[in-house]
Amino acid sequence: MAIFNIKKREIECKIVYYGPGRCGKTTNLEYIFKAYQKQVTGKMVSVNTESDRTLFFDFLPIGLGKIKGCDVRVQLYTVPGQIQYSSTRKLVLSGADGIVFVADSLKVRREKNMLSLKNLQMNLKEYGINIVKIPLVMQHNKRDLAEKGFPLMSIEQMEKDLNRQLKVPSFPASAVTGQGVGDTLKACMELTLKHLHKELGWGYRV
Amino acid sequence: MDAVTKLKSLLQEAELYRSQGLLDEAKTNYLNASELIKNDKQLKIRQKLINSIAKKIESLDKAIDKVEKAIEKPELSSEVQDVIKKMFLFAAENEDTCALDGAIALAKFGQYERALTEFNELIKKESIQIAAAKNIIKCHMVLTSIDDAVNQYQLWVDNNIFIPEKLDKIRIFLQDILDKHGINKTLLQAKEDAKDKETEKVIDSKLEEDEILDVSSIGIIMDSGPKKGELVELDVTFQSGNVISLLIPEKEKELIENFKIGTILNDVQFFSSIAIFSGSGAIASLTEIKVGPRKGYYNLDMKIMDS
Repeated sequence: MAIFNIKKREIECKIVYYGPGRCGKTTNLEYIFKAYQKQVTGKMVSVNTESDRTLFFDFLPIGLGKIKGCDVRVQLYTVPGQIQYSSTRKLVLSGADGIVFVADSLKVRREKNMLSLKNLQMNLKEYGINIVKIPLVMQHNKRDLAEKGFPLMSIEQMEKDLNRQLKVPSFPASAVTGQGVGDTLKACMELTLKHLHKELGWGYRV
Repeated sequence: MDAVTKLKSLLQEAELYRSQGLLDEAKTNYLNASELIKNDKQLKIRQKLINSIAKKIESLDKAIDKVEKAIEKPELSSEVQDVIKKMFLFAAENEDTCALDGAIALAKFGQYERALTEFNELIKKESIQIAAAKNIIKCHMVLTSIDDAVNQYQLWVDNNIFIPEKLDKIRIFLQDILDKHGINKTLLQAKEDAKDKETEKVIDSKLEEDEILDVSSIGIIMDSGPKKGELVELDVTFQSGNVISLLIPEKEKELIENFKIGTILNDVQFFSSIAIFSGSGAIASLTEIKVGPRKGYYNLDMKIMDS
């Protein structure tokens, strides 16, 4: 849930990267941490298992500077994607103002993408949020792997599987190379800030 | 595609999946490749290939095992604990509830020792005393034993930390846990002068403060499956507001068939130490426990919808 301090003219919001295990959520944050040094306002905190899986979350604070006279800060989080960390995933999702759903383009991960999106919908529902009402952006990650011989799904197929009903902005991406990472984040932040503007009347009161 | 080309493709993909950390997918490909080789009697170096793939599968099994047996809630650095405490505040209204939420967040992420330290500080704050005390009891139960929780309660009684009404609420809470675990122990009540207070008053104020009572177990009349028409009782292992966690033993696995995420059960009896109430509950999550002493059990989270 965004914290809006009218007196200090500060707004702090939370964007959560969601998706199946090994889809590249942490890699997205690692790229942002490296490529957007100017905006990064603190250390990236990661809690991983020995096998390099996200155990609790990754956390990265960034600042967008002044927007409509307000100092805008964004906290980026990733959830653990592995099935067994269901309760932690739900905990990290709480209070999210915007979501990036990272889908894995590999053909073998088709079902995992759909299950993860369903899991997102259920967890949001538990918090009383309708998935169509929250700022959501989709990222079709790992597009670069086609060159290495991996069988990938076409963008059309992924859109049909995941975005046919939601119709949210979506971006092909490669978190490893950085392609599409900035565009995804930018789109999610725009949607989130517009939503907060509408919800909080932010921009009119300050 | 001829057998050799198919085999090459399977092995190549298996390696690629492994490089991506997709261990199950890599293993599936190796198993398929192994089957293909076994069926092709004319393939040269057949046995050598089978052995080589078997080694790769063995190595993958070890890696999969390591992922599945990863410690779920390890003790984290104080830096990460600070992030959790600061960033996972849920419904904080003021400075005290904010501090309480921070400590609860630590406990939710399994940082019980640090949480315990914080809760012990927070019982000094009038407005959140009871919540802090209940959480201290929960932390003791996870960290050490029920005996420690009982000893802690005894210390509170001896040292007059709480006013009798508050102590009585904590006693009811802990007594309920003891009863649920089949421990034949009756906790000392609050001071004599508090005993005269009407039980109704205690119940009323408890309801006002907690809104949802502490639920010890639930009863569900099954409307389908092998236990159709039977009343199934399940113990509550943890409660956070209106969300309760239930543990389903492996031998009751067939129940899982009826518990899909999102399912709303309309005829649920909720048992607490002071009342039984009926209502409905939504299945919020259902996870199989893969490691530890409860391996094979299912953890089910249910949201109490109305009662």
